Amino acid sequence: MTTIDATLARRVNRGSGENAYKCYQCKKCSTGCPVAGFGDLHPAQIMRAVQIGAVEAAVDSRFIWLCTGCETCTTRCPQSIDIAAIMDELRMIAREEGRVRSDVPFANILKLNYDSFRRWGRLYEVELLAIDKVTRPSGFTDDVAMGIRMFLKGKINPLPTIGDRSQMKRMVQVADRINRDKRAIVRAMDLPADADMASSGRGGAS
Amino acid sequence: MSRVAYYPGCSLHGTAKELDSSFVSTAARLGVDLVEIPGWECCGNSAAHAANRLLAAALPANEMAKVKDDMGLERVAVPCAACFVRFMATNHEVQDSETARDVAQVVGRPYTGGVGVLNLVDFYHDEVGLAALEAKVTRPFAGLKVAAYYGCLLTRPPKITLAEDPEYPTRMDEVLEVLGCKPVAWTFKTDCCGASLALCEQAVVIELVRKIIANARACGAQAIACACPLCQVNLDTRQGDIKRVDPSWADMPIVYLSQFVGRAIGVSDHDLGLKKHMVPVEALLA
Repeated sequence: MTTIDATLARRVNRGSGENAYKCYQCKKCSTGCPVAGFGDLHPAQIMRAVQIGAVEAAVDSRFIWLCTGCETCTTRCPQSIDIAAIMDELRMIAREEGRVRSDVPFANILKLNYDSFRRWGRLYEVELLAIDKVTRPSGFTDDVAMGIRMFLKGKINPLPTIGDRSQMKRMVQVADRINRDKRAIVRAMDLPADADMASSGRGGAS
Repeated sequence: MSRVAYYPGCSLHGTAKELDSSFVSTAARLGVDLVEIPGWECCGNSAAHAANRLLAAALPANEMAKVKDDMGLERVAVPCAACFVRFMATNHEVQDSETARDVAQVVGRPYTGGVGVLNLVDFYHDEVGLAALEAKVTRPFAGLKVAAYYGCLLTRPPKITLAEDPEYPTRMDEVLEVLGCKPVAWTFKTDCCGASLALCEQAVVIELVRKIIANARACGAQAIACACPLCQVNLDTRQGDIKRVDPSWADMPIVYLSQFVGRAIGVSDHDLGLKKHMVPVEALLA
């Protein structure tokens, strides 16, 4: 059964500041999207799903984990919707609700990337790759030869390079706390009803 | 001699060491004093804004607060296009007072904008200037046909990057022209190469790379110029995969703009990092 969650567009709006209802389905985002042909849906369909609250179509789509963040959709949208920011928001909702699908390797890479710079202050690529190989066995043999060639050319550091780790640690703690509090408030504000987003202030249609 | 802060970013200390060494050595020859930001941290790259928007805004703010308050400088050179767009996004986002207040709490001090951010093209085009660059050219290219590849984040989204012509930019072409290259008109200047998926969606990435390079070649290019370490690594390394499927594939050299500049103004091959490439570039830049 398809779930229609009438609050989806409003949650996306509160998190990203973007109003999905401004989309009138011209599909310019999809024609310019480099990965529209590789996923289950394309960006205009995701926008439609957000509008009608088709939460499974939007949040559980493979597409949101194929989006490269190239910003072509955002640049070309005649309604000036930051569509890439909506994809980011759908990823955050998927993580918060524990519904990241298992067949989207980019979700794992993004998480390891995020963990890596938060832990070391800078990206530590060897560790990131090693953990990805262990946690995602289907990609175990991918690009091993290429990795070795790059290592031999001195392009991959065996050890992390370190900046100001204590400042990174402090910033991560404060940012996590503020972010967690704000998102909790936003979730608590979501009534299960059909409130009209046009009257909800920020990002409202005018 | 102008003084500019320098934020290398993670890639330039790893997969793009030749961008770091070629950029730094061209800057020295062109009379710009680069001062690396002490204890710089990751800008958050494309992972932070998909997880915690506040942290994504705060990480570049922390660097730019150092540039402004500790180093007393007005501009920062950020040769990685992916870092560049994060710095520009912070300058845009801190104009909102609520964001600025939260960012100040995270960073531990206020940053409300004001530091100029230079990407690789801006650096040569504006900080050095085309006339000053031309005056330093001692070994011009003899009309080498080059496709200037901007990729995504040098110009998009334009409300952040402030790019004048995000669909068909020409500023990198102008720098190449000063060096004696002949930039070609082509279709995929600002198309995405899929680098963010490089570690996990190989089939997608290989197809995007193939289309970009094939179009550059069809438009007469002998090499592609890059100003982003993620694009360069992706276009350079994926040609081996393309060749396995298509044995008739001819290698296309993928060269950083800073390497073209360096070759033309007499930087040594070692500093240009010519041996770091997968597709050989020594003959092209000899």
